Amino acid sequence: MGVTILQQFPTENRTGPDTIELLSKRIKALGAMQHGNFLVDCETYTSVPQLGHQRTVHVLHNSEQPATVFSILDTGTKTIPLATDGLFDLLMMKMSSFYTSKKQTKAESKGPRFEIGDFCVKLGTITVSSNFKGILVEVEYKPCVVPAMCWDLMKEFLQGFLGFSVPSTPPTYLQNRMQELYTPIDTIHQYLEQFMIYRKSPGIGVRT
Amino acid sequence: MPYSVNISVEAPIENQIHEITYDGTEIYQPPLSLSESLSKYAQKIDFSKTSEVEVKKEFSETTEDNKLEADSKETFQSNLWPWDTVRNKLRSALQEVCVLADVLAIAKDKRYMVLDPVQQEPLETKSMAQIYARKKALSGAANVLLTGAERLKTSQTEAARNRTVPDFHIELLRLRQNWRLKKVSNTIIGDLSYRTAGSKYIQTGTFEVSKTEEDEKPATPPSSPSPLSTGPVVPKTNTALKVSIPSELKGVAYIEVLCRKDQDDLCSANINLLGNGHTTTHPDMHWQQKLEAAQNVLFCKELFNQLAKEAVQLQAPIPHMVVGNQIMATVLPGIQLIIGLRHSTNVEKKPANSGKTEHDHVLEHSLHQLLREVHHKNTHHPFPHPATGPLGPSKKRMCAGPMAADRYELLEMTKTETLLEQIIKQAQHFFMRMRTEYVLDTIAKEVKDPLISSHWNTLNSPTQSCVKINISTHGYDALCRTPLVIHVGEKTLKCICRDGKVMYMSYEPQELRDLVFCHINQHQILAVQALAKTMGWQSLANSNHLGTGAVEPLGNASSCLLASPTGDRIIAVRCEPQSGVQVSVAHSPRTDFFPSRLVTERKWEHLGGQFRDVRLEKMEGRNFLHKMELLMASLTSNS
Amino acid sequence: MPRIFFIKVGQNYIIIMSAAPGSAMDSLSAALKCNIIPNQEYLLQGSVLDQYVEVLLHRLRGLCDNVDSGPESFHDHELSFALRAQGSGAAPMVLPLRVRRALDSPESPWQLRYVGQQELGDKNRPTVVRSSIDMACSSTIVEFLTELGCRMDFEYIARGYMFRKGRMKITVSKIFKMGNMNTKPGEGVEPISQSYLVELSVLAPTGQDAIAEDMRIFAEQLRPLVQLEKIDYKRLGNMS
Repeated sequence: MGVTILQQFPTENRTGPDTIELLSKRIKALGAMQHGNFLVDCETYTSVPQLGHQRTVHVLHNSEQPATVFSILDTGTKTIPLATDGLFDLLMMKMSSFYTSKKQTKAESKGPRFEIGDFCVKLGTITVSSNFKGILVEVEYKPCVVPAMCWDLMKEFLQGFLGFSVPSTPPTYLQNRMQELYTPIDTIHQYLEQFMIYRKSPGIGVRT
Repeated sequence: MPYSVNISVEAPIENQIHEITYDGTEIYQPPLSLSESLSKYAQKIDFSKTSEVEVKKEFSETTEDNKLEADSKETFQSNLWPWDTVRNKLRSALQEVCVLADVLAIAKDKRYMVLDPVQQEPLETKSMAQIYARKKALSGAANVLLTGAERLKTSQTEAARNRTVPDFHIELLRLRQNWRLKKVSNTIIGDLSYRTAGSKYIQTGTFEVSKTEEDEKPATPPSSPSPLSTGPVVPKTNTALKVSIPSELKGVAYIEVLCRKDQDDLCSANINLLGNGHTTTHPDMHWQQKLEAAQNVLFCKELFNQLAKEAVQLQAPIPHMVVGNQIMATVLPGIQLIIGLRHSTNVEKKPANSGKTEHDHVLEHSLHQLLREVHHKNTHHPFPHPATGPLGPSKKRMCAGPMAADRYELLEMTKTETLLEQIIKQAQHFFMRMRTEYVLDTIAKEVKDPLISSHWNTLNSPTQSCVKINISTHGYDALCRTPLVIHVGEKTLKCICRDGKVMYMSYEPQELRDLVFCHINQHQILAVQALAKTMGWQSLANSNHLGTGAVEPLGNASSCLLASPTGDRIIAVRCEPQSGVQVSVAHSPRTDFFPSRLVTERKWEHLGGQFRDVRLEKMEGRNFLHKMELLMASLTSNS
Repeated sequence: MPRIFFIKVGQNYIIIMSAAPGSAMDSLSAALKCNIIPNQEYLLQGSVLDQYVEVLLHRLRGLCDNVDSGPESFHDHELSFALRAQGSGAAPMVLPLRVRRALDSPESPWQLRYVGQQELGDKNRPTVVRSSIDMACSSTIVEFLTELGCRMDFEYIARGYMFRKGRMKITVSKIFKMGNMNTKPGEGVEPISQSYLVELSVLAPTGQDAIAEDMRIFAEQLRPLVQLEKIDYKRLGNMS
């Protein structure tokens, strides 16, 4: 597990599959090999009014960590992450009378997964309750666990195949954590951040 | 009686013990007073016995007795009047006597009462029936006597034999100490399988325990010198206990491991937990040996079954073959590992291993150990922490969820090496080690200068060992030494060179050979430079990979240039892996100078002169370094 | 890359691999359908006085698997939480949750456990059967539950030994009141009673009732040292 950066890619009037196709070609031209597919999904549960002030629990799964269920509790004032076994989903079912999910909020990012040297690149198609929302590119640099030490390298790599749509500053979530050790939950936080943006966005491929 | 002797009987002096306390002190009853003891004795008088002629009493005796008893009890308990029973008895006796006197008086008068003799009716007796009854009774009695005599006889013979034959029950007890037994209705069933030790093999290993029949025994012991008892003479033990083993576990089994190179047997190992010599399945074998043999058969079967299963499932580049009782796997190109199950129920047949004398006990032990390890793992599972956690998953697996282990780590956790893979690896390592040894030994034999010595680490694992090679020159080992460390793995060699470089080599022995030769050259150059330093010479230049000269088939030539302390002489050394060492010498300035048209002044001669080859083989000296030392010494003193 | 879903069943894992990465919920519901998730706890409980616990441990060593290296000890801290809310009807909704951590093995993960009401079912059933969902979790769990709206009802320390016999787990534990957390571990704790709690439990997928019979037979072998019984918590609740 290394440092991971999430990056939106503008579709610019292309369809989702076309964009994926375009990026796949580019990354393959660099010498990447496809290693299967990936999926990150997110389900959001909100507390029932009887439980007092509203809280939300986001439950996320990442195919990269298949034995883990990530949950992020958002109380409005702070967020608490939790990593558990797969059976947490079963517990959420038990909690259905306290926390309910709205089906329209189920967000997913899935697509092909490439490996190129020390990098792992995932081209994700974002859907929110099966509506296409955009393209999200995940790049992981496996040998390093401190974002500050590899951000420049990763930025360069990203620009190498995404062009200049890549901003020169790290994602907002990482900006305060550049010197800390990177863990899988950080990737989950980034995904959640992106999913929240896409949920609010009305149409296709809107850049923020 | 005139001759009677007076015997005085008295009570023991000690008083009766009333109570013994826990600390051992005895509490005595206080001694009886005179009157008390008199009344005690009086109570003991039994009046009923004194009268020889019992007079039939009209009034019921029982009531009298009851009353008497009740009375005596009362007196005993209340102890109010100790003479009460005596008085009662005397009174009743008086009563009886009075009544008797009255009756006699009346009878004597013959007016009111006549005593007539009563006619007793004779019993009708049938003589035949009586005879039969008597006969029956006698024969019954005779039977009892006969069986009693029989029993005594057998017990006597048993006792006589007991010095040689232990009792069935004692043997059963011994059996029970080492084997699992249980009683099912009337039979005793034992289990010799490894199931309790963690085996999951389906075949059962039940055996039955029974008592040796009496008539069976005398037949066997005398006729023992049968032609088949050629093996170690099994002591003729007469056991009272017999174990019957299922036929599929009878006989002797072992697992044969052969390593074959181009159809030639390189080595073979025979697995036989009992040792190869002990191969007889003697019908009279002691049950312990019999059970151990059967258990061995079961173990070998399980091992082979497991290996065969794995051989079929494993996806090897060259597929493993399972034919009949044989598994063939390719270890290294051209080398095959053959594992076979040999199971012979035939008593005569000895395993045909007399031709192959080369036993690899390490491989034998390894296979054995691997299956035991599997058994151990099957039964030893980690406990969960905290205690409410589920039983089963390893600690690593428990952490995988919360620590967000990725898919590779998880897949890694599920991977387990099969027995076959492990034994193939061990065989591969065995060959690698053998080849490395061979290469090093031949090089050491071929190359006398410098000396090559190798030290094998005594501590190694079945799949990894390590050898340290020292290249040094005799007499100069303090000056320069080139160490090399080679890790021998399963299919690769890893060499750590003097300068810390790490080289990986394949299983081909030529690669190692080349590497060692390169290092021999390097050693020579380095040693010459080190020698030069101690001689006061100066090293002008050196190169490990010289670009000039003829192209070497293997590696590059290395060279160095040395200058004498005064700087007027230069030695050039060139070392080639193939052609050996070349040494040239140059003088500058030359000792003689003749001005010519091109070189007009003497100072130009300092630029260096022509090199002239030194014919090393003609030089004095034990080895290359010695020659170089002499050469340098002579060049230094000449000036 | 196939999607892998790991489920522990007894001592082994079942690995579900699908060619395309389906959602985790799909895999979970598939696993639920196949009845391979161990979500039923079979339980028998009893207690033994302090002075006889040695005898019981001795007996357990004789009966259980692999105690050649001595019994495994444990030292756990358990916190009991409950999520409560006034339901739409009159009855309040309660979801009990327990958090447990091993004090003697700090590198082990924390454990979150939901234990349901015991199933009414058959009166003749030899053991208590209740639904149980347990999972390993990260140490943020206490804060997570607190912020989720759970209230901690009580906490205690359990220290003792555990044994196994096949799939059965036997724990013999002493329960201690939580002392002041500021004191060193092992100090400032006070035993709740003069006896040890003995529990015999098996976690199994739904419908494996045969195990209950095995448990009954095993419990029988521990008599009269300890009487393992079905404890009816509702009755106990009413008594207090």
